Amino acid sequence: MHELLLFASVPAHQHHELLQQLAGLTAMQPRHRLERRLVFKAYRKPGLVTTRVGASQDVQGADLQRLNKMLNGGMYYTQVVGPVTKADFGATSLSGMSASHDADVSMSGTDQSSYCYENQSWKLEFRDIPEAGTRSAVTTRLMASASLPKGDIAVPMNAWGYSFVTEYMVEGDVFVQNDIVIFLHRVLLYPQAESQDLHGPRRQLPAHHELTPLERTGSYVLQAAITVQDGSNQEMMKTASQHLFGLREQLKSAVRLEQADRLSLDTRAK
Amino acid sequence: MSALTPDQIKTLEQSRQRLVQLTHSLASLITSLNQSDPLPSWTSLQSQATIISNNLLTISDHLSDNRDLLATLVAYPSPSYPSRNPANTVALEQLLRTKLDPRVEDWVARGRKAGGSLAAASPPFVPGNLGGAGNGYGGSAVAAAAAAAGAAGNDNGLDDLGALAELWDWAPVEANQEARRRNWGGNFTLEEREQGVGNVVTGLRRVLEDDDDDDSESEEGESGEEEGEGEPDEMEIVGVRRKSGVGQGLEFDIAPVSATAASAPHAPGQQKGVAPVVPLDEILRFMTVGMMPSQR
Repeated sequence: MHELLLFASVPAHQHHELLQQLAGLTAMQPRHRLERRLVFKAYRKPGLVTTRVGASQDVQGADLQRLNKMLNGGMYYTQVVGPVTKADFGATSLSGMSASHDADVSMSGTDQSSYCYENQSWKLEFRDIPEAGTRSAVTTRLMASASLPKGDIAVPMNAWGYSFVTEYMVEGDVFVQNDIVIFLHRVLLYPQAESQDLHGPRRQLPAHHELTPLERTGSYVLQAAITVQDGSNQEMMKTASQHLFGLREQLKSAVRLEQADRLSLDTRAK
Repeated sequence: MSALTPDQIKTLEQSRQRLVQLTHSLASLITSLNQSDPLPSWTSLQSQATIISNNLLTISDHLSDNRDLLATLVAYPSPSYPSRNPANTVALEQLLRTKLDPRVEDWVARGRKAGGSLAAASPPFVPGNLGGAGNGYGGSAVAAAAAAAGAAGNDNGLDDLGALAELWDWAPVEANQEARRRNWGGNFTLEEREQGVGNVVTGLRRVLEDDDDDDSESEEGESGEEEGEGEPDEMEIVGVRRKSGVGQGLEFDIAPVSATAASAPHAPGQQKGVAPVVPLDEILRFMTVGMMPSQR
């Protein structure tokens, strides 16, 4: 699957207004979305055969070559995304957290903590580095998503050769206009206290007000995305980018949607 | 019927060469305008114009330097002139004309007219200007035109001198009195406040908004109304806020990734607009690989 994207930075003071504008444009109420995002990085398992690079005369077996390519070729950062609700925050405190608040979430815990890490559902989101040298002014990249088992995800990810890098929270609102998914969001960071020696995802969430935005002024990122099933279908890709340009025109007076810097979306692990 | 000295012939020859240069540069400008499709870039047009004006300057210098000689010269055909050749006959007729070519007459008339309107357009209370304009052009025809216009303009100029002195007497005192009547400071005058600041602000806003925003007519209208209803004290705050908005616009121009400071300033009571300090690609980079924006 391919994804076509346009981005814009939205100053905090414009956020409310833009929400209204988008609600009017898309004729829908914003869907609030809170996501835990864990960043994992592929690593080389120690003990793998490292090939000699350079002009040596010894001929490698074709199988060995292919194996090395598979093992060392694509090393990517990848993300694991888990939806949460506002009721999940600060769940360690028992006060006032009735289960009815998060009844719409599959993970509504029955034990004293309303947020249960063991029941957290996860989705693996792989994103390739955006395609280079495309003439159209949209960011295009290969993407794939897959559902993951619930619960502690660090262990299976580690088994697949991914190490935990960091995690953050994404807070935002989703709109859908025809085939365009508009996500107005910002990154929230967990409080830094005693997290220095944290080598895995948090098992509990801090209170929502303890999260600090990554961007100190609280600005948002507007992302407009179209997913195309068959990225090799040029006609379809062209139509999709035309739609994005249409949206860009419509929002021109409010925000400037632009192609993202390709290297800032570089998911390759070096 | 004295023969020309070699020096005089050289002068004539120089005039001819400079005029040929001028025709060439004019012709090349005309061809480049006629033939190149998109039009030549303005830099090239400008350099051609510079060349032409330099040519004109040299020619006019040359003509005025040798004015005595050129004014007294008379052309006539000598018996050896090969007038049988039709081409030569045309040249001969041109040389022997006593009046200007009709086209040239038109040019001269246009030049005189332009010189006259120039003199009229120049501020009448600075009498030195007329002479200055004439000197600047330097070309004999234009200079003559300017001189003529100057003669015509002088009638007014003399009258104006009196008026000018009067004006100078009157203006400083009056300006000072006007200034004393006002309480300086703040963004609006008392009169403007009394008449409703909304009107004044809208005019200013249009100009400001045109700079960083294309069309936000509806928002403009709304916020304009809000401002109109508010108290004068609040108005000042709005003004200041708008200034910060302008600052944002500049900032946004510098940081190409971030959005424009698009919409009108917010309704009173909302927080002041602050431009994002972390650029968009830094945020995206963090979201992609978890690298904090400060770690570069």
